[in-house]
Amino acid sequence: MTLPRITSPHAKGANRTQRVMLLVMAAAVPGILVLSYFFGIGPLLNITLACSFALLFEAAILALRQRPVAFFLKDGSVLVTGLLLALALPPYSPWWLIAVASGFAVVFGKQLFGGLGQNPFNPAMLGYVVVLISFPVEMTAWPAAHSIDVAAGLQYVFFGQALPDGWSQATVLDSLKTNSNLTLQELWDSNPAFGLFAGYSSEWVNLSFLLGGLFLLRKKLFSWHAPVGMLAALFIMSLVFWNGSGSDSHGSPLFHLLSGATMLGAFFIVTDPVSSATSVQGRLIFGVGVGILVYIIRAWGGYPDGVAFAILLMNLCAPTIDYFTRPRTYGHQTAKRGFKTGE
Amino acid sequence: MLPEISRSVIKNSLLLALFAAVTVAVVAITQQSTESRIATEERAAQIRALGEILPAHSYDNALLDSVIYLNESLLGHRTDTPTYIASVEGQPAAVILQANAADGYSGTISLLIGIMADGTLSGVRVIHHKETPGLGDRIELAKSQWIKSFDGKSLNNPEERGWAVKKDQGDFDQFAGATITPRAVVTAVHKALQYFDQNHAQLFAHLKTTEVSQ
Amino acid sequence: MNPSFRDITINGLWKNNPGLVQLLGLCPLLGTSNSTVNALGLGIATALVLICSNAAVSLIRNAVTNAVRLPVFVMIIAALTTCIELLMQAFTYELFQILGIFIPLITTNCVILGRAEAFAAKNSIARSSYDGLMMGLGFTLVLVAIGATRELLGTGMLFTNMHLLFGSIAEHWQVVVFEDYKGFLLAILPPGAFLVLGLLIALKNWIDQYYAEHIASTAEVTAPAVSRRVRVTGVVD
Repeated sequence: MTLPRITSPHAKGANRTQRVMLLVMAAAVPGILVLSYFFGIGPLLNITLACSFALLFEAAILALRQRPVAFFLKDGSVLVTGLLLALALPPYSPWWLIAVASGFAVVFGKQLFGGLGQNPFNPAMLGYVVVLISFPVEMTAWPAAHSIDVAAGLQYVFFGQALPDGWSQATVLDSLKTNSNLTLQELWDSNPAFGLFAGYSSEWVNLSFLLGGLFLLRKKLFSWHAPVGMLAALFIMSLVFWNGSGSDSHGSPLFHLLSGATMLGAFFIVTDPVSSATSVQGRLIFGVGVGILVYIIRAWGGYPDGVAFAILLMNLCAPTIDYFTRPRTYGHQTAKRGFKTGE
Repeated sequence: MLPEISRSVIKNSLLLALFAAVTVAVVAITQQSTESRIATEERAAQIRALGEILPAHSYDNALLDSVIYLNESLLGHRTDTPTYIASVEGQPAAVILQANAADGYSGTISLLIGIMADGTLSGVRVIHHKETPGLGDRIELAKSQWIKSFDGKSLNNPEERGWAVKKDQGDFDQFAGATITPRAVVTAVHKALQYFDQNHAQLFAHLKTTEVSQ
Repeated sequence: MNPSFRDITINGLWKNNPGLVQLLGLCPLLGTSNSTVNALGLGIATALVLICSNAAVSLIRNAVTNAVRLPVFVMIIAALTTCIELLMQAFTYELFQILGIFIPLITTNCVILGRAEAFAAKNSIARSSYDGLMMGLGFTLVLVAIGATRELLGTGMLFTNMHLLFGSIAEHWQVVVFEDYKGFLLAILPPGAFLVLGLLIALKNWIDQYYAEHIASTAEVTAPAVSRRVRVTGVVD
């Protein structure tokens, strides 16, 4: 009789990583649809390019590192990185910009640290910040909603042709930041980029990402702590520093919750299990930190939106947060408080 | 006879003092021998910087010595700031003044502005700023020619409302992705021209007093 | 005991390179490596201080007692740095203005005190000066490699503003490598210094590893089965 030579664990669930990644991609669908409604094929173009480049770089570096290429590509994590990157970049980003961003995300953000599970920073945000710092002109060229000239867009993406006048439009966060003499009401009336509460397009995009995020929350992919911490902190910060609707306004709480990358960050990036804090308490602190930093950067910083910077800065803090929020080990006495407050 | 410990302390102190004296001497000799050359280089560098916005042939006085100090809120000054008065045969030729724009995208932008006696701009240069690399830093001549668009402009050319960036219905280009920086620079230059318009008599009065005192 | 000149050369330029292996003097290495001219200027200044301080330390190594050794070394290094600073101010004024605080900071560059302590205090003047030269050269080479890489990636050009160092003959040394280049700003900004240094270290380690493997494989070919017999642990395949 031969005994099967299998080591534990013997009971395996479905391929966890793969399932998680598929769910995340599914949850992004409403956001992608809404983005496409406003910006035509731009977002889809971004996604196709970013995912292809990310796959290419991942395969190349896995081969260089002499790891099984197909095995690691199948877990889908690189596709999620590409997808999130594509959603954060302005629709119709030039192909080389997407290549640089995906390259940095996969090679420098993930593989150089040892691949999935080892990366201290969220790869997508790292790639995004690299191109944001390096190519600020391209990164501020968000197309104006609906008025997309597809042919011009394609020529810009693939052949570097100059964009026609009026093709791109400052985002609402940018307009608010560069505003010097208009009250909020005047700004709303004068600029078609503003919608009901936040941006004409960005409020719907944010709501759709919120929808996707709630789906993931319901599927128990992550606990509520990090996203709620971030959104609550952003809300409270914008309420405390809400200085009216004059020309020096920083924008209302609702405006901050529904513009820029708030919801994408809160439900798709802050919840990254690898680069965020691990304990429940730690995740709450992590989220709150992100929310506070987002507001600080938006209101007083050098860039209109701060979600990517805030997340990378908190990624840096995650090990420290983990150190101070370690749950009590069973049988050890020291953490009396932890025993009462924890579950 | 001193105990051994004291002897060693004294020996070491003397040794240290000796080396201190030697190193100080080396530094002193180098300093002595380079002093005059450094002074010349410093002046030459300053002249080159001023020559960027006011060509050397447009004045004949010793520009670096013809300096007055201003502390004008209109020019954004916070401390006494040097202003150079240029003349040709004792007659007013131009002024070079420094203006600070506090409303840049991140921090103060310091400008060196040359204004001819007739009120036209001979040139503007940014001497210090902290604007975003790749966006606002195109006010530097090293990055773009934009700053040269002020050459030859004056208070009435363009008209009052033309002294703004195109986004604010003015005459001056903004940069792709950056409005605040050029807006701040345009406003600061405009204010400097207004200041010159109101005060050129006092500024050039300095020329006469130095003339007399010499 | 006395290291040969060949060993000193290999140590300074490669095996114990101050920039890539000892990782000493990172502050100027990262701070001034955003263009070739800045890197070269600071590299030469550091190398000069290093040669002179090594020579001076070696000269007085038998005169100073252990108790005042370090203060004396620091005094020598500080004095030499001040002299270099004054000379740069006199002869390359514009470069001096660009490099700014990094020139006085040469005093605190650990490579210099490190070499004074580890080498010059124990070796003859000739060897110490030569060690200073090789360490300085190794530092300069790494600095210039980082500077040139960052300049090329960041602006698409090489050797911009070399006249700051070499005078008017270098007016036209600037080479446009990539026409119509967007400019990868990150390379010029501080993070670029860390990234390029990291990549250079990786490259050096890769080359070392490649050679080690190469030598090992040729050794195996030339020295046959004998080596396997000596092995007493592990599996012989």
